[in-house]
Amino acid sequence: MSPNRLSFLTQLIDLFTSTVAYGERLDNFVYLVARNLKVDLTLFFGLDKNRATLFLNADSRRIGARPRLEFPLGQGIVGETAQKRIPIIVQAQQPGVKNSNQALETIFPDYQSLACYPVADDNFLYGVLLFIDKDQRNSNLHEQETVLIACRMLAGNIRQALLHEEAKKRIAELAVLFDVAKAVGSTMELNAILERVVSISAKVLNARGATLLIVDEVSQQIHVSSEYGTIPKGIPTSETLANKIPVASGEFSSVTSEMTGSEGEKHYYAGIPLNLKGHLKGMLCLYDKMTPNHRFQQFDSENIQLLQTLAGMATSSIENALAFQQIEALAAKNERMVNVLTVLHDISSVLMTTIDLNKILTILVRALTLKNAMGYDRAMIFLVDKTRNLLVEEGYAFQQTTPPDLPLRQALIMEPKIPPGPTYLGSEAIQVTLRGDQGILAQTVLSRKAFHILQADKHPQVNQQIREKLSGQEFVTVPLLVKEEAIGVIVIDNHHSNRPLKDEDMHFLTMFANQAALAIENSRLVETIEASSRELTLIRERMLESDRLAAMSSMAEGLAHEIRNPLVSIGGFARRISKQVAPEDSLKQYVDVIVDEVGRLEKILRQMFDYTGDTLGYFQEHEINKLVEDALTLTQRDLEKYHIRVIKAYAELPPVYCDERQIKLVFYNIFQNAQQAMENGGALTIRTFPLEKSDGLYAAISVSDTGGGIAPELVYNIFNPFFTTKEQGTGLGLSIAQRIVSRHYGDIEINNELGKGITFTVTLPIAKYCLIPPGKTSPAVTSSEEV
Amino acid sequence: MKRILVADDEMSIRLLYSEELREEGYEVFTASNGKEALEVVAKEPLDLIILDIKMPEMSGIEVLRQIKEKYPNLPVLLSSAYSEYKQDFGTWASEEYLVKSSDLEDLKSAVRKHLKD
Repeated sequence: MSPNRLSFLTQLIDLFTSTVAYGERLDNFVYLVARNLKVDLTLFFGLDKNRATLFLNADSRRIGARPRLEFPLGQGIVGETAQKRIPIIVQAQQPGVKNSNQALETIFPDYQSLACYPVADDNFLYGVLLFIDKDQRNSNLHEQETVLIACRMLAGNIRQALLHEEAKKRIAELAVLFDVAKAVGSTMELNAILERVVSISAKVLNARGATLLIVDEVSQQIHVSSEYGTIPKGIPTSETLANKIPVASGEFSSVTSEMTGSEGEKHYYAGIPLNLKGHLKGMLCLYDKMTPNHRFQQFDSENIQLLQTLAGMATSSIENALAFQQIEALAAKNERMVNVLTVLHDISSVLMTTIDLNKILTILVRALTLKNAMGYDRAMIFLVDKTRNLLVEEGYAFQQTTPPDLPLRQALIMEPKIPPGPTYLGSEAIQVTLRGDQGILAQTVLSRKAFHILQADKHPQVNQQIREKLSGQEFVTVPLLVKEEAIGVIVIDNHHSNRPLKDEDMHFLTMFANQAALAIENSRLVETIEASSRELTLIRERMLESDRLAAMSSMAEGLAHEIRNPLVSIGGFARRISKQVAPEDSLKQYVDVIVDEVGRLEKILRQMFDYTGDTLGYFQEHEINKLVEDALTLTQRDLEKYHIRVIKAYAELPPVYCDERQIKLVFYNIFQNAQQAMENGGALTIRTFPLEKSDGLYAAISVSDTGGGIAPELVYNIFNPFFTTKEQGTGLGLSIAQRIVSRHYGDIEINNELGKGITFTVTLPIAKYCLIPPGKTSPAVTSSEEV
Repeated sequence: MKRILVADDEMSIRLLYSEELREEGYEVFTASNGKEALEVVAKEPLDLIILDIKMPEMSGIEVLRQIKEKYPNLPVLLSSAYSEYKQDFGTWASEEYLVKSSDLEDLKSAVRKHLKD
């Protein structure tokens, strides 16, 4: 080897083993070749990736900006050398040379000689080396050999550089995929994962922007789940983008396309479908891949491949995350269910510990508002009052907290800070008439349905009272149902926390209401049974008392009979003696004492028993109002003495067929009784009115006092002879009144209101309808009973 | 002379009534129980009967019933030491019910009233 060639090749080896970058190495290579082989201009053309065109890559003149020069494969000396992979050496004057290599004129006019060598190894051609000389070049064999060695060395070096580039790129891609894999495999939130996928995709491809579109499982609508970077303005809507994805037999393929932005600029995008088991789950879109000098360019197939790998990873992670989300939601729901059922069970067991309605209501409102039970901010319970056709507020509570370690069962029966009952913000209990037009509470009862009102102040069915108390809030009403009948309503809201009320709340409240209704109903049943039993006991006591009094009465009457006979004899004979004794005789005085004293005894007996006095009943037609007035006159002095006001309301009534004296006695006794009950003053109200009964028309006279009434258990004895609540009474007044009224085919009723007073209502048949035949003193009743 | 029967188990009452009525100018028969009373009624033509209710053998009410069956126009005055309320039980057939009293004016005026015609 000549020293020149050795020196040249040594220089080349130095160059190829240096750490200089690939591009610079090429420039140095053509420079060294030109200098050592004394070439006017040495150029290197590289074959592009598509192996179709050769581009000028290096120029031995080391000028700043390289002119753009290219030869398609097979054209010109450059293209021909590359195609044939053999050195071609031509002179300018040879025919066709100038023509086919016109492009070269632009950088080297008037050349004489061209020599072109392929740069290739055994497998691949990487480019060609072109010598251009202004004089005729004598390329001897030695030179050709040297150039070919240099070209072989360059080819090897290029291959190495390409491999290195490729390896670097692969490593970068792997690093990206590793990042993405790390992200999707992490415990990150789905949204964070998706954002990471989008940003990594954009960064790795040097794209200006990226979006991830997700197909909503339920609505099948496409929405943007995450965005990164700059999304060109005026891009088609996500739907249009998705529509562009070609679908062929369940497979979705990626697309690359160009678009024109709103300002007429050109944009590029790549759309990668997220495909899971043949379903389109979404799309990864990248916009405007950037060149190093900030121009936009289209995405190539390598980019698409990488994106598809990314999209595949994202898809499964989305699916996993979605499944996980669903499972989590289900698990959370189950947990809530179990909690609520446990709470309901606890409430139910606590409810079973009592039958006292007030206690039950307290437990219920506590259960609704305790933080560790149902936990609503406020709760109200209304119960139906059937007799008055009303819905009445019976219980109310705010949200309460209990010591954290206190079990719910104990918390529920703890003495409440707020006593049960209508204490809603200190106002009075709400009462609602049970009618369809009376608002949402009445409707809840009447329709037996729950209502969920989102805004109390905007809902037309919410009446003013409720609206004021709920201050325009969302609230729920649930009926308390027992055997298809609504016995009340539960109302709850979250006044303070504003926690929204969900379907789940409605569900649990309904379950709660069923338990509550049962507990309330049981308590009421027990109450009814107890009341009946109390009443039975009372009746039994009353009967015993009646028996006792009747026995007493009968005994007293027998006694009176036995006393009266001898009295009559004593008195009768004394009168006879008195008639026969001379007035001046001292005996006369004694006898008269006997007569008077017997008369006194007889009068006492008569007062006690012969209350009709005159045995003759004189039945005639009388104005009842007048008889009442007459009886009132007899009591007038006593009424005035005790400052008792008399209120009269008389109706005009047809005459009553009665014994005037007896009926006056009836009212006299009733007035006396009223007056004695009001010794500290009061009001006596007398009303007369017609009353239609099943058997005809009656005159009714009601007399009310304000004497406070009497104990309920004593009411039953009020008409018994010798029964009295007064120290000085004989206990006969009302007994006599009742007997007289009953003999007149009338009725006497008593309405005792403890704390207020007693009302007696006497009803007497109107003469026209009266059954007693005129002129007869007494009805025809036969009895064979020994008396 | 009008003829009156006084039926009463109390001897003193029979005596008192008889004396007072005789003084008034009536012929007076007496009976000390219900049976005797019916026997007198059967034997003697009478204008009026004063009948006690509570008597041995037969009560005044039963006597009254039997008399009224046979002699519906014979006035009967019931005279009893019982209070007026006893009137409820079958006394309706009598002309009057009188509670016994040491003052016999009521009795005598009732007798006069029913013997008028």
